[in-house]
Amino acid sequence: MIQTFKALSALLSYPSAELQQAIPEIREILAHEAVLKPAGIKAMQPLLDGLSTGDLFDLQEAYVLLFDRSRTLSLNLFEHIHGESRDRGGAMLDLLETYRAGGFDLVGPELPDHLPVLLEYLATQPMEAAREILTDAGPIVAALAERLARRETPYAAALAAIAGLGAGADTSGVAASLLAQPDDNPEDLAALDAVWEEAQVTFTPDPNAGCPISRDILSKMDVPLSPARAGTPQ
Amino acid sequence: MSHLLDRLNFFKSSRIDTFAGGHGQTTIESREWEETYRNRWRHDKIVRSTHGVNCTGSCSWKIYVKSGIVTWESQQTDYPRTRPDMPNHEPRGCARGASYSWYLYSANRVKTPLIRGRLMKLWREARKTMSPVAAWASIQADPVKRASYTKTRGKGGFVRASWDEVTEMVAAANAYTAKNYGPDRVFGFSPIPAMSMVSYAAGSRYLSLLGGTCMSFYDWYCDLPPASPQTWGEQTDVPESADWYNSGYMILWGSNVPQTRTPDAHFYTEARYRGAKSAVVSPDYSEAAKFGDIWLNPQAGTDAALAMAFGHVILREYHLDRQVPYFEDYTRQYSDFPMLVKLEEKDGKYVAGRMLRAADFSDDLGQDNNPDWKTVGIDGKSGKVVVPNGSIGFRWGQEGTWNLEEKAAGAETQLMTTLILEQDRDDVVGVDFPYFGGEANEHFVNDERGDVLTRAVPVKRLVLKDGETLVATVFDLFCANYGLDRGLGGDNVAVSYDADVPFTPAWAEKITGVGRDRIIAVAREFATNAEKTNGKSMVILGAGLNHWYHMDMAYRGIINMLVMCGCVGQSGGGWSHYVGQEKLRPQTGWTALAFALDWSRPPRQVNSTSVWYAHTDQWRYETVSAGEIVSPTAPAGNWADRSLIDYNIQAERMGWLPSAPQLKTNPLEVGFAAKAAGIPAADYVAQGLKSGRLEMSCEDPDAPENWPRNLFVWRSNLLGSSGKGHEYFLRHLLGTDHGVLGKDLGEEGRQKPLEAKWHDEAPEGKLDLLVTLDFRMSTTCVYSDIVLPTASWYEKDDLNTSDMHPFIHPLQAAVDPAYESKTDWEIFKLIAKRFSDIAPEVLGVESDVVALPLQHDSPGELAQSVVADWKAGECELIPGKTAPNYIAVERDYPNLGRKFASVGPLMEKIGNGGKGIAWETKEEVHHLQELNGRVADEGVTQGLARLDTAIDAAEMILMLAPETNGEVAVKAWEALEKMTGREHKHLAAAKQDEKIRFRDIAAQPRKIISSPTWSGIESEEVSYNAGYTNVHELIPWRTLSGRQQLYQDHEWMRAFGESFVSWRPPVDLKTIAPAAGKAGSSKTVVLNFITPHQKWGIHSTYSDNLLMLTLNRGGPVVWISETDAKKAGLVDNDWVEVFNANGVLTARAVVSQRIREGTIFMYHAQEKIVNTPGSQITGKRGGIHNSVTRTVLKPTHMIGGYAQLSYGFNYYGTVGSNRDEFVIVRKMDKVDWLDTPAKVEAAE
Repeated sequence: MIQTFKALSALLSYPSAELQQAIPEIREILAHEAVLKPAGIKAMQPLLDGLSTGDLFDLQEAYVLLFDRSRTLSLNLFEHIHGESRDRGGAMLDLLETYRAGGFDLVGPELPDHLPVLLEYLATQPMEAAREILTDAGPIVAALAERLARRETPYAAALAAIAGLGAGADTSGVAASLLAQPDDNPEDLAALDAVWEEAQVTFTPDPNAGCPISRDILSKMDVPLSPARAGTPQ
Repeated sequence: MSHLLDRLNFFKSSRIDTFAGGHGQTTIESREWEETYRNRWRHDKIVRSTHGVNCTGSCSWKIYVKSGIVTWESQQTDYPRTRPDMPNHEPRGCARGASYSWYLYSANRVKTPLIRGRLMKLWREARKTMSPVAAWASIQADPVKRASYTKTRGKGGFVRASWDEVTEMVAAANAYTAKNYGPDRVFGFSPIPAMSMVSYAAGSRYLSLLGGTCMSFYDWYCDLPPASPQTWGEQTDVPESADWYNSGYMILWGSNVPQTRTPDAHFYTEARYRGAKSAVVSPDYSEAAKFGDIWLNPQAGTDAALAMAFGHVILREYHLDRQVPYFEDYTRQYSDFPMLVKLEEKDGKYVAGRMLRAADFSDDLGQDNNPDWKTVGIDGKSGKVVVPNGSIGFRWGQEGTWNLEEKAAGAETQLMTTLILEQDRDDVVGVDFPYFGGEANEHFVNDERGDVLTRAVPVKRLVLKDGETLVATVFDLFCANYGLDRGLGGDNVAVSYDADVPFTPAWAEKITGVGRDRIIAVAREFATNAEKTNGKSMVILGAGLNHWYHMDMAYRGIINMLVMCGCVGQSGGGWSHYVGQEKLRPQTGWTALAFALDWSRPPRQVNSTSVWYAHTDQWRYETVSAGEIVSPTAPAGNWADRSLIDYNIQAERMGWLPSAPQLKTNPLEVGFAAKAAGIPAADYVAQGLKSGRLEMSCEDPDAPENWPRNLFVWRSNLLGSSGKGHEYFLRHLLGTDHGVLGKDLGEEGRQKPLEAKWHDEAPEGKLDLLVTLDFRMSTTCVYSDIVLPTASWYEKDDLNTSDMHPFIHPLQAAVDPAYESKTDWEIFKLIAKRFSDIAPEVLGVESDVVALPLQHDSPGELAQSVVADWKAGECELIPGKTAPNYIAVERDYPNLGRKFASVGPLMEKIGNGGKGIAWETKEEVHHLQELNGRVADEGVTQGLARLDTAIDAAEMILMLAPETNGEVAVKAWEALEKMTGREHKHLAAAKQDEKIRFRDIAAQPRKIISSPTWSGIESEEVSYNAGYTNVHELIPWRTLSGRQQLYQDHEWMRAFGESFVSWRPPVDLKTIAPAAGKAGSSKTVVLNFITPHQKWGIHSTYSDNLLMLTLNRGGPVVWISETDAKKAGLVDNDWVEVFNANGVLTARAVVSQRIREGTIFMYHAQEKIVNTPGSQITGKRGGIHNSVTRTVLKPTHMIGGYAQLSYGFNYYGTVGSNRDEFVIVRKMDKVDWLDTPAKVEAAE
């Protein structure tokens, strides 16, 4: 059992009195197991301090605001890559199958792509397997870490630490593209406009010239027949 | 070797290399790669469900589930087939429903119960030392503590809670409120029960057992067309969409079928393929406009003027210059055209007065039962005044003559509709008609020609009890009202369509902007088609018309066209009002469950519009005075000085409208005192009201005793979607940040109401507790104190019907509710149980005194043939006659939870019924006990049928309703036969053995069974169409005359100038001037604010779904014309502020040629929670579409105790109109997203 993952799972769960009491134990595990780099552990001190000494109601309010209320900070990982697309159901299924293959059934109300769920599962796996999975999830976690950092919340450090565990983590292409997406608030109006820009329609005597889609299809059809096909008897 | 053995007899080799002459080739390589694709679409099960509350499409869907996760959905295509020559119902569905499964796992889902953190802290602190109710009381008793959470509403600060803790708090709050103020201070709002009946019933059953107040929605949404109850005594009954196919001519008027009725639109297309012609009336070039053979684009809000001109042409060419026999026969038998109206003399001039009644004659014309409620006409055969069958007086107190046979006192008659011939009339006199065309504000064409138009009418002289009187037929007055010269000459009538006289096509061209030729052409096509097909002309009309303050004029103008052409009650014809499809088909089975009629009667119900008007204090800002809308021909009376809320107070006092809360004193205390005094509750309250010891709450809505204290909102986004006057809700009901820019009557020093008590300091934060049940974090949730996560539409079992098709089909739990959510049924069952556990701390078995207004479809609708106010000393206070009835109802609070979960004994004892028809239902209750099982636990419910699960509840609805139980249908028709004296049973006899169960509809949608609850029939011969049984079975309409009531003779109708239809320009809400200064030096434009339905959401649902946002512009937008954009210096996609005295909203501008100059569209309802920046004017986040609206009441909607104008829940009452509003639009030069966390100061 890699207890660091268990500890991270607990830290990212809804704050409770039990969690507050467990903070010294968590500190010890992080230090003792040394799965995380010392700098990463150090960066997490404000989070650990906050959780151990903060008013529980304030902690809970902050958690709900960050993770339950803000879509761009959702701890359900597939929210960030699949959103409300058709692929989400399938992706969750794959994850569920992974858990089952690892010998675990999901109980409780959370969906399989909830980060604390995933972390708890990783805790039960050999380090190599865990790293492999984290490498896959790394870009999303990195993007989340960055978004949390922009919000100046201590939770950012926990996400950054997790992101650091995957092989070749940091900002891969996916994370970069995720980060390029604006947060809940699309301040960059020019970027928004760019997304909406479509090929301009021009009306000419050629009836096919007007519609960009048909134009594209037609241009593909205009490719000359290959010699082989040309030689086939009609 | 024989050939036989050489040849393969049973196999074919799969190793043949080529086939099809060498074009095909067989290979044997691995095809494993195909598995990827197969797996992608593999699933464990398919479950039938639908999309449940606020979409009224009622489309059946297949939900695909794999490993307990919903993966996708697709349309079901197994509706029962239609008959030959009719297209089938499929496909039903649209892009919105198809994106729902992905909503299920959205990050916007509410995962656990949430409570405002500050409230939770106070609660836990108090609960350390106190019992639940005492703990709640301690928080409420301390203003600082209370304000600490009420003032932070809408500003975040939620923490998660356990179901245990949260339901305990809700139960404690309810118990405290019932004990301290009265159970009627616990309110519940939920709309459109038809779309998930059990979920609605869960909350309303709890409230009804508690004595809480169930609030209406149909009138509040302004989807209720008051013209329907006025004309037909029917809330709304319309053709199914399949019947469009049978039509020959369709006018689409203010309804955008392809966009908002997507699953039904194919019938419209198919009808056009069949050869039907169509005219589309829409101010903008809507999606529907392109379907029209002709497109008429009147200025928004001038539809009544257009309808008047259509009527003018139809009367001229089909009733006067030439009489179409079908139209003549139809209107004689099925409309009030032949009924006689008294002409009342005032200063030597005549005004149309009350309809003549049998009681006006010295011998009551031989009628000893209800002569006051029997209208009279002249029989053409005998020339005598007769009392024709079917008027409402025949409905109550006698049997066998309430029908539309052309008979009077047993003799055949042929009533005369006109006295125009010289031998028929005694005289021709001038009759005054009010004219409002000169009252238009600056945004509309003002047709100044005097406010009274006198026109010649043929009359007869009759001797009545109180002397000689002039009378005229409704038809003759009706023709005069339409401005038609009938050869009698005189002023204000026209022969030519080009005359500038109301209501000619030339006149309408001036008002509406539509060319006269086009008006004449459409009127002719409409009527000619009806003439040739016996009434197969149809008008599909919608919110575009109904949401105006004077919606009744547009609607009645259209209804008149349909009645004049004999279209109502004919398949392929009629009135197709599709706004908020309210049709809960198994209605009488459902009311028993929903309002706990099996345990106690009557339930507390209220019309929401009046409640919100009073309790969000919108009345304190009223800009419209009664003087502005009263008729110049009003009967004598103090009409102009009373304010609109004064009218509402009078209506409540006289038992016309319901009240909530009802009395200033806790009704439990009243019940206790009445018992102690040993007198019936009604007498006790009557004495108290007369002496002043008891007061009605409506007279002082701002007194803390009269505030609504607890509010449940479920299946609704009240604050994000339907709450007209949004900012007033925030300010006064919730007590949080708001954007109200205007000042109230006190601050402005204007005329205050006469009756409603004025407090200089307006209350802010009337609600102690706002609880919302939702599956997504809607705007309402954001403002709530407690948010309960509810099951979504693929996670619960429920029933679904619509008026668009005749089938009943289910919602089903394809998967368990996600996260910690529960179904509405389970949530309210849990709250009911917790309430019972906690209540004994302060409550036991109590006597609750319930006020009941005079109900439609009960003898109460004959209560007040003349208007008399007991408080003014005009009559005695008689509960149930001149005032609401007051009824003591026993509340067994410690057993509330048990009662919730079982079918109570009153169904067996009293029976069931609806719409004035009653039948016994013992048999069905026994069946239900056997089907659901009996309660085994000892106690008050032992042996009763169980209602544990939502399916149990669904079975109760299905078993008790005639529409889903053939045996009950036959009983119901038999009950009606007694009243009409005619045979109707044949309509259901063939289905007597049919009992539709939940598992049946899970297998396939089922067509319902014909029942007298509805005016159409379910048959293999004709499609469902409203009014069908009135016309074909001769069952009277539930109106004064028993016919389609085109003349409204109630005193208030006459006072406000609406006894006949007319053109009334939109009212001036005066919201521009007080806000004009806020624009600073920006360029602005003032536009009419219109809020139609959108394409990318169903109300606010889906409007936060990324797929739909992607198809739209991704946030709040308003649409304006290119011309107006230029005036305000705007280009497409600019951020704009839209504001007036009511508040401010922020959105992007879509600049489009589609929009007519002078109007601005904002599709409702776009959520405030998505991409809404701050307003520069208020510094707060921009509002929703309702931030710039305020609701204004109309006195004619308050009338009660008068035949069809009597109260019924969601049937008649004040409506929340919102289209007359104007707004200022300007470009924002700074877009501030307000994305730093809110600094929430502790309440000082």
